[in-house]
Amino acid sequence: MKRRSMMAGSIGLAAGAATAAPFLLPRYDEVSRPPRSRVAILHADAYSEQLEQQLMDGFKLFQFHIRGKSVLLKPNLVDFMPGADINTHPLLVVAAAQCFRRLGASSVTVGEGPGHQRDTFLVLCESGFSSQLDEQSIPFVDLNREDVVKKRLRANYTGLNHLWLPRTVLEADFIVSMPKVKTHHWSGVTLSMKNLFGVVPGVKYGWPKNILHWRGIQQSIVDICATVPVPFVIADGIAAMEGNGPLNSSSRHLGCVVLSDDPVAADATCARLMGFDPDRIPHIREAAKFLGNASTELIDQLANPVTIPETPFKVVPEFEHLWIS
Amino acid sequence: MTLRPSVCAPRTAFLAATRALFDRFWIFPYNQIMIDAAGRVALKGALIARQLPGAGWSYGPASSQPALEPTCLALLALRWDPGPARTYGLKFLLGAQNLNGSWPAFSGDDGEGSGLSAIAVIALINSGEMTLQIERGLTWLLSSKGRESHWLWKWKFENWDTHVRFDPNKFGWPWMPGACSWVIPTALSIIALKQAFVCCKTDQVSFRIRRGVEMLLDRACPGGGWNAGNGVVYGVPLAPHVDATATALLALHGEERSDTIDASLAWLERAAATCPAPSSLAWSILALDAYDRPIDCLADRLGALKDSSNLWDSATLAITTLALSCPVQGNVFKVVV
Repeated sequence: MKRRSMMAGSIGLAAGAATAAPFLLPRYDEVSRPPRSRVAILHADAYSEQLEQQLMDGFKLFQFHIRGKSVLLKPNLVDFMPGADINTHPLLVVAAAQCFRRLGASSVTVGEGPGHQRDTFLVLCESGFSSQLDEQSIPFVDLNREDVVKKRLRANYTGLNHLWLPRTVLEADFIVSMPKVKTHHWSGVTLSMKNLFGVVPGVKYGWPKNILHWRGIQQSIVDICATVPVPFVIADGIAAMEGNGPLNSSSRHLGCVVLSDDPVAADATCARLMGFDPDRIPHIREAAKFLGNASTELIDQLANPVTIPETPFKVVPEFEHLWIS
Repeated sequence: MTLRPSVCAPRTAFLAATRALFDRFWIFPYNQIMIDAAGRVALKGALIARQLPGAGWSYGPASSQPALEPTCLALLALRWDPGPARTYGLKFLLGAQNLNGSWPAFSGDDGEGSGLSAIAVIALINSGEMTLQIERGLTWLLSSKGRESHWLWKWKFENWDTHVRFDPNKFGWPWMPGACSWVIPTALSIIALKQAFVCCKTDQVSFRIRRGVEMLLDRACPGGGWNAGNGVVYGVPLAPHVDATATALLALHGEERSDTIDASLAWLERAAATCPAPSSLAWSILALDAYDRPIDCLADRLGALKDSSNLWDSATLAITTLALSCPVQGNVFKVVV
């Protein structure tokens, strides 16, 4: 009788451990968080020709070596809506490309895979990107239709285990995430980490990349960011967006460009600038465990200090708990 | 098999000479017709030159990874071409079919099937192929459906996940298994089923077409037209997209005319008139042609765009060829009523 009870107990314990393990064990391969991260908030009131010099001055605060490297700039190019400032501004992207060229990059390419609009060329034309990039002879790659390679994920929050990713992304020496500072009705915010949804190819995952929504948007963001290293962020916070983003938000002047050598630190800082507590944003909170730093104590604040707004950015009701109380 | 650019060089030279000749002896409209014909031949030549050694087509000219969409659109554009490009291309497409009857989105893809598998069926039907592969493709299409069709998710979307306005009872086809139904895979699947079963539809075929049509009408944007499939989110109407609207209208051709279809046609005519992108413009021409709307001005604009560097993508090159040749060679996406 005792032996039978013990066996039943052991089986129960084993079953419990097997069920609980996925929730208790770390869901990432390795901790790649740097000891400290740097973030620079640059004041910029308008999209102008001066952006290039402002960025160049900002780059000097970071010690990165670009000479001979291939640089991929990943802006946030969602769709085109007349009068709505929903994309990273093309002048900022062109300014960044010119800076990296001046720093000796072997190539600078702009790449994006829009999640809503299937005709990428149409978005490029209508948003003004096409003419700006052509003028400066900056090549563009449609990441939705690039050659793809199967890549094992370095975190497993979605349970997908692997993703097909564009060869251009995997082979780039230096990826720069260039998000628009915006609110998002599914993920709270869309910043440098959420911006990486655009590297997931539509040719495999469709328009929109709906399977990532089913697996959890917050979880997908962490898995993608763990797998695609982003050594630098240039966030467009000059004309930011608040409300029902990413498409139907309204413009809000923030007047800054945020630079960082750590996407987690960049997003945590942008969240604070929007009046949000980064610890309440699940993908930033999880990524801070192994990918980067979200705590102010681990971030070296360069240039201007973080100013928390008196009135936080408007969000859909489901995300009002993000506001710093 | 490869058709190298050198094979096309004499043809290009011939076309240039022909064009110069007609430019010199300006006899309109006869010479315009000939120039248009020459343009179409040049586009087909460019498509043939982009065929990969394995006989499929990739999206980008520098890519070596064959993909389903450019391959099928190229085969449709070359369906009257007697040369080996079409023959080998068809053989490649038939050989690429997954074990479950679907097609991979690109060479090396996992075997679960792409939401664009319907376009392979359309390509095979319009190439005059009556093969077992079409039958297997249709069987897979009939089994593939959006995840919202499951009772559990239907319940979820009906009761507490209601930010996107849609009726989960009206489902179509997903981009990949495990996802919701979206406009473009649904529209292409309806076209494939309608073309494959012109008459003698089984109950299952009729049911899937009916549900798919209902889904498209349900997901339309409030002012007409379609985007990826979200007409209203958080109570805010979203804007339609040109290519999704055109594809949905092609699928709805032959259905009872409704306010949604009329408003969408009107929206598409307005949007196409200023559309700067060849791919969207080409899809618009095919849709408006199916509804007997005038397309001459749009074809002229597309003809002018095709000379620019915008056609780097082989799928765009192929759909442009199909749109410009539809008045002469027929509209491959038009559903016989």
